[in-house]
Amino acid sequence: MPSSDSEDFESADEGQSPDKKERKHRLSSSNYSENSLENNLEHKKTPNSANTLEKPEENTNEPTDGWDDFDIDENESIEPEPRLEVKSKTNKETVKKESTKSEDTGWDKFDDWDQDVNTSSTKIENDPPVPSKQPEPDIKEVTDRLAAASTKSSGWGWGWGVDSLLSTATAGITTLTTQVSQGLTTVLETGIGAPDPEELARRNLRDTEATPSKSDDVVTSDSGKEETDVPRSTSETAFPFGSLLSGVTKFVETTGTKVISGGLDTLETIGKKTMEVLQDGDPGLAKKRAMLGLDPGDKPVLSQVLREAKAKAEEEDRIREEKREAKEVHYENLFDDFEGLVHLEALEMLSRQVTMRLDERIQAAAPEKRQDIKETLQQVAELCEMPEEDDDDEETPAKDMSKADAFHERLQTATQDLGLKLQFQPLIKQYNDILTWLDTSDADLTQKAVYKRSVSGLAQATALSVELYHKTAEMLLVKTRRSTADEADALTQMTVALTKHIGDLATLFTEKLNSIPTDNKEQNNTYITNIFLEAGNSSTYIQNAFQLALPILQIGAV
Amino acid sequence: MTSGPYNYSYIFKYIIIGDMGVGKSCLLHQFTDKKFMADCPHTIGVEFGTRIIEVAGQKIKLQIWDTAGQERFRAVTRSYYRGAAGALMVYDITRRSTYNHLSSWLTDTRNLTNPSTVIFLIGNKSDLDGQRDVTYEEAKQFADENGLMFVEASAKTGQNVEEAFLETAKKIYQSIQDGRLDLNAAESGVQHKPASPGRPLAAQPPARDNCAC
Repeated sequence: MPSSDSEDFESADEGQSPDKKERKHRLSSSNYSENSLENNLEHKKTPNSANTLEKPEENTNEPTDGWDDFDIDENESIEPEPRLEVKSKTNKETVKKESTKSEDTGWDKFDDWDQDVNTSSTKIENDPPVPSKQPEPDIKEVTDRLAAASTKSSGWGWGWGVDSLLSTATAGITTLTTQVSQGLTTVLETGIGAPDPEELARRNLRDTEATPSKSDDVVTSDSGKEETDVPRSTSETAFPFGSLLSGVTKFVETTGTKVISGGLDTLETIGKKTMEVLQDGDPGLAKKRAMLGLDPGDKPVLSQVLREAKAKAEEEDRIREEKREAKEVHYENLFDDFEGLVHLEALEMLSRQVTMRLDERIQAAAPEKRQDIKETLQQVAELCEMPEEDDDDEETPAKDMSKADAFHERLQTATQDLGLKLQFQPLIKQYNDILTWLDTSDADLTQKAVYKRSVSGLAQATALSVELYHKTAEMLLVKTRRSTADEADALTQMTVALTKHIGDLATLFTEKLNSIPTDNKEQNNTYITNIFLEAGNSSTYIQNAFQLALPILQIGAV
Repeated sequence: MTSGPYNYSYIFKYIIIGDMGVGKSCLLHQFTDKKFMADCPHTIGVEFGTRIIEVAGQKIKLQIWDTAGQERFRAVTRSYYRGAAGALMVYDITRRSTYNHLSSWLTDTRNLTNPSTVIFLIGNKSDLDGQRDVTYEEAKQFADENGLMFVEASAKTGQNVEEAFLETAKKIYQSIQDGRLDLNAAESGVQHKPASPGRPLAAQPPARDNCAC
């Protein structure tokens, strides 16, 4: 696809497993990852987030950051051992960055929320973060406890905190999972008081040990991102919890190779908890929504909306019906359906091919001969000029002959010098069908029906005529003995006969229209005008086809 | 002949080629009308058939050019290869000569179409296994060596006919999805039809690979 600039798509192509399912997952993960990057971008202004934040495009060139790469790393880490080492380092970095980032922004947003409850979300994003004293004790408490927890389990000191904990966790071993789970437990318990984190962690751990299957990796890591997105976007507004969560979810991703379908449930629960916490004292997130400008000022009434939707749907139906009707009597569509267009196209291809051969012949000829050839070509072209709208002295056909038979005879007479066996039957049959229809149609025939039949009849007659030229051209090209003058004359006569046929058809239909009693004279006139318009259209097609056949006549002469 | 609704998203041009009498027109009839024409007259120049199929939820109109197999029309039919998205190259499993001519047909196809044209080799008349003159294995090998898709089919019983046409369409569609086939190129053999108003969804090229986020 031309517009596919997503690096994911490329990487999916290069990837080891072209499995569609996986690709799909990757794609969806890329969606999320872009989102989270955008979130990061929003925080870019916060001075604390010193990490380089990439725009999604830059991300393409930057191997160490962003979720996309992250995802790829994971997949690559399915590969043999040595590589895994390198990749997990990369992962570590990613995690570190991400969590510091989100931690910072988490605080900032907390401040902002406190102070700017009533300002719009854009304002918040643009506001330089005002360092506030108020939340600090809390934060300190939380982080201290977290540090304590980390120290307890792994012996790391303060200063690394969640970051280092998590980044080491990417080494991806069960013991580390335990550490993190403990860290998480502590944090959740002490810092926020969200219920049941132990259970979550336990489940997480259990699943980690249970199914280190590769195929699950992708699922889990993707869903990890999915979940990450939720707490992140919501935590923006308020809570440090968000940053921790994103760290945790990121952990789940980084250890993706070992992690597991069960992580999905865990994350979902975490996401739900986050929402609960966010909604605490703010049911339905009304305040936060208002602050973010998500709710339009005046809510439309539901019934009103439904009424409008219904009206709109009805209007669409009506338009659709009209268009369908229009298409039914659309000359070009019908012409295409009767294969007129494709025959014309084929004839054009032949014509172009032969014209090239003619040019080649002229080029190849000796210079003194060239003029001769050109003159010959010119003469053939002149032979094919349509006679003036001449003598109306119709060679009145024998009285006992039907119109269709007369037409057939005219065609045969016209083309007898062509030396080809042409099939006029389809044209004659169609003519007969129309004549029968016009004669036998019942009394309550509407104008519209006649009009429809006329457009379709004209389109079909034209398509059959074009086919006739096409077949003639093909047969002339494989004919062994050519007599260009005769052929040119025959084709000219055939063109006259065919255009006259079109005119006859138009007249027959308009006569029929006029024979129907109507009180809508205006509509009738519109129909009649259109019929003659389409008849003119038909004649143009036929004469174009004739002109396309000209080089085929010419090449027989040189 | 009025084939009704115009709600397809793409038009693919196919061309059917191969020696005289291998059953090109019969394959086409089997595909478009699900009928076997026992007495198929010699094709003059080229004849056409259409059918709307569905690939990956997209309606696609196949515009099939069924060429004359007679040697005398060879120069004429060569004019028609251009812009074919799919080429069905047919031989008769009961007549080795038709198989032996394949390399010549293949050369024409390669020279006169674009590189993305999908070429599908069909060994027709698989119902006449008793008179078989070309083994499946050697034809399969020929197809593999030349990167062609291949089935043995029977225009008479209909066996594998549908498959050949549909698989070709799938391959072409895949080429579009992968960006190997440029719809804007005049010679791609694929036209993208703007959707009829009633079916906005049918017209949308699938957004799957279009991730512009």
